[in-house]
Amino acid sequence: MSDRGIGCRDLRVYAGERELLKVPELHVPSGRTLAVLGPNGAGKSTLLRALGLFSDHRVSGEVLLDGRPATPAVMREAVVAVLQRPILRRGTVGANVISGLRFRGVGRREARERARPWIEALGIGHLVDRDARRLSIGEAQRVSITRALAVRPRVLLLDEPFTGLDAATRADLIADLRAALTGQPTATILVTHDRQEALALAEDTALLIDGRIRQHGPTAEVLDHPTDADTARLLGYTNILPPALTGRPRTLVARPEHTHIVVGRVPGPADDQAGPGGDEIRGLVGTLRRTVALGVATRVDVDTAAGPLTCLHPGDLLPADLPPVGGEVRVTVRQTRPLN
Amino acid sequence: MDVLFNGLVDAIGLLLTGDQDSWSITALTLRVSLTATALALLIGLPLGSVVALARFPGRRLLLAAANTGMGLPPVVVGLFVTVLLWRSGPLGALGLLYTPTAMVIAQAAIATPIVVALVAAALQQVDPDFRVQMRALGATPLRAFLALLGEARLPLLAAAMAAFGAVVSEVGAAQMVGGNLAGQTRVLTTAAVLATSRGEFSLAIAFGIILLLIAFGVNLALTLIQQRQAVPR
Repeated sequence: MSDRGIGCRDLRVYAGERELLKVPELHVPSGRTLAVLGPNGAGKSTLLRALGLFSDHRVSGEVLLDGRPATPAVMREAVVAVLQRPILRRGTVGANVISGLRFRGVGRREARERARPWIEALGIGHLVDRDARRLSIGEAQRVSITRALAVRPRVLLLDEPFTGLDAATRADLIADLRAALTGQPTATILVTHDRQEALALAEDTALLIDGRIRQHGPTAEVLDHPTDADTARLLGYTNILPPALTGRPRTLVARPEHTHIVVGRVPGPADDQAGPGGDEIRGLVGTLRRTVALGVATRVDVDTAAGPLTCLHPGDLLPADLPPVGGEVRVTVRQTRPLN
Repeated sequence: MDVLFNGLVDAIGLLLTGDQDSWSITALTLRVSLTATALALLIGLPLGSVVALARFPGRRLLLAAANTGMGLPPVVVGLFVTVLLWRSGPLGALGLLYTPTAMVIAQAAIATPIVVALVAAALQQVDPDFRVQMRALGATPLRAFLALLGEARLPLLAAAMAAFGAVVSEVGAAQMVGGNLAGQTRVLTTAAVLATSRGEFSLAIAFGIILLLIAFGVNLALTLIQQRQAVPR
């Protein structure tokens, strides 16, 4: 039973002679969601299309469905994908929602019956008779997702489906999708560059950088434990603290929201001591490059001997608390992660 | 102005009485031009689709050739087809010169580049990921292609209208390969040219009006097909 789901073995995708992607092994069991997190151009969509057997590129290796090599006919039946831009056909929303079922040979009447619960679950009942080309981008993506779910696919491939949506629309759609997927025997792969989406939707996360999976494991664990500078940047640990700066044996990384400058008083010797927690760093010396008020937070950019650091302070910082641009500042890092 | 006005009045009279000759000329015009358009669509639709969707060396060259061919002078096409079908020419043995078949061949040659170029443009203006999305919903490659044709049906029918408009109105090729033989290869355009050269302006105007009515009728039919299934807004 553990074989059920989608996977691949030694999957490689080429553009001409160039290898775009190489995934030795991957398996997403039925009923679970894998987020593939990666920066732009990492090969996320390439991976998704290769797994769905609708890639335009040359692909080698095997795509496995329920542990067996997948044929195009089997995959057509099993897989549905939602692309980044919602591509709907001319006609009504209702006709679009049933098109995946219609491609599978389901009669129009039965297709409407089977689509109805999904239309309700995704809240597009009021759109059914509307012209599909006259929807907002958020409505269109909702229709595109409903169209995919209505098939009740064994494998659901989602290619950054929340890109370009406003925050409220996106949050609602993510919640509705999560609720719709819960309890379904669907193996879902979500491709995204947003770790909040991974956290909200996926039990497991894989980090894809330059066409290679660098890390793969439970989402919470992967998101909080970068292993190298690339994955650290991807996961929001954008401050790199090399041994030369910290005096620690390994390079550490930290998020800007855990990195602060010491303000309001003259830094004293006490600031140079290590804090009680082993991963807290104090007394890093740098010069102030600039401060930017961001409304809910103030961003402070500091140059150190080992490179720039970004500090994020909640609320406003009073100019009186800050040294002049070019002046010396001390930086405290509350939480760090070591790199391998 | 009198010539024009009297011509118009006489022409309407001729149309209303409608002699046998006029009807047979009209019927031949429709037969030749519709057959030529159908032939051009038969060749041009697959060719235009390949140019739009496939990736192969020389694709852009072919597209540029088709785009150039949209402005192909009918006289040049008529000349080539005449040389091909001439008694001593490569296809002379078929004895097709000065027959309606020769006119169909020439007009199809005029319309095919138009169809290729407009079909390619029609299919390329649909989202490049359209077929991928259809396949990703479970469509076979053929179903995905048919869905693409459905998606582009407005500009595709416009291609058919442009092709028909080009052939029904041309005179050069019809004259050269058909020979304007009365009762055999005389069509509305060549008949209008002949009547004008003889000073029979009202007859020429009558042929002109019939030509316009045919063009309008066929395009109206295609437009109605194109615009049906309107979705409530």
